[in-house]
Amino acid sequence: MANHNLHQTFHEIIEQHKGLLFKVVRTYCENEEDRQDLIQEIRIQIWKSLPKYNANFAMTTWLYRISINVSISYYRKNSIRHQYAKAETLPTVTDAFPNDLQEKFNLLEKFIAELNEMDKALIMLYLEDKSYIEISEIMGISISNVGTKMGRIKEKLKKRFLNHKEN
Amino acid sequence: MNDTDLKYLWQTGNDQIAFSQKLEKTSLDKLTKKNVSHFLSSMKPIKLFTLLVGLLWVFGIGYVLIKLTINAYDQVSHYFLYSAYFQVALTAMAVILYIIQISTLYNIDFNKPVVILQKTLLKLKASTLNVTRILILQLPFWTTFYWNESMFKNGTLPLFVLQGAVTISFTYLAIWLFFHLKFENADKWWFKLLLQGKEWEPLITSIDILNDMEEEVVSTKD
Repeated sequence: MANHNLHQTFHEIIEQHKGLLFKVVRTYCENEEDRQDLIQEIRIQIWKSLPKYNANFAMTTWLYRISINVSISYYRKNSIRHQYAKAETLPTVTDAFPNDLQEKFNLLEKFIAELNEMDKALIMLYLEDKSYIEISEIMGISISNVGTKMGRIKEKLKKRFLNHKEN
Repeated sequence: MNDTDLKYLWQTGNDQIAFSQKLEKTSLDKLTKKNVSHFLSSMKPIKLFTLLVGLLWVFGIGYVLIKLTINAYDQVSHYFLYSAYFQVALTAMAVILYIIQISTLYNIDFNKPVVILQKTLLKLKASTLNVTRILILQLPFWTTFYWNESMFKNGTLPLFVLQGAVTISFTYLAIWLFFHLKFENADKWWFKLLLQGKEWEPLITSIDILNDMEEEVVSTKD
């Protein structure tokens, strides 16, 4: 691929899939500054990996792999997990969002933030409506293992919602 | 809350966020420069310094030892010569591990499936443990290089007892640490003493993550 074409393809991919990148970054980072840093890190890796992109994989599978890999490494390096553990609340979504849904969404984000790095990625992919086969390809684990892990994570989230409701 | 509710909540919430998010427009040149500086800054200075000292040590002392072996083998103490050879050989092994680590860092492939790549990264960090274990094996040789034949001919019993005690205890300590310096013992005081500082935090995090990932990795092998 010529360099000019590569640049163009890169910018198109970023523009077309920026929603995907934001979702991954939001799952792993709390504050805006970290998110912007992480987005840039992911963009760099996408740029570097673009010549090696294998068209046998769906573009989103490839993008999820890169963005989750970079996020986990970044998250680990910056000990963001500790920041999350301390955080009582997470930044809220826009005011246009109905109040009850907004509260529930913020809770969902909070509970996801409490999960370990791998579980965060798994539940995010699940909520993105990815099939177990796709999740298995992105994460590099067996389909049956995806199922087992997913069952446990969903149970954990449901319990957290239930406990919150009771309190 | 059922699965459909969760998915609906996630999608609706994220759709709202998408409108308010802005992607900073940064040129690729700037991004690449930022990445290089980030990468270099993340390289632990102590690791690079150790590598440099290690290389100078191995080549410098190695050169002297070879010269001594060729030109003055009968004139130098064999205890010194062989102790130094073992010491240099172990340092060389540690240096090789450092070089492999740095080379792997430069060739990380983010295209790989998440579990596979993350395991590689964790192994990379965990190899710090192996370097420490190898370097610890040098301990006994620091107690034998000054031995000489005259010491054995003219030495007194207290000297032999003291020397023997020092060498045996250092040998025992080295072997014991070699086999016990593992993740399982990360909470022990002696482990923290050996691996405190900047190398410590990533190792502890690695232990947590390795535990989290264990079942995924086992399953991948199936």
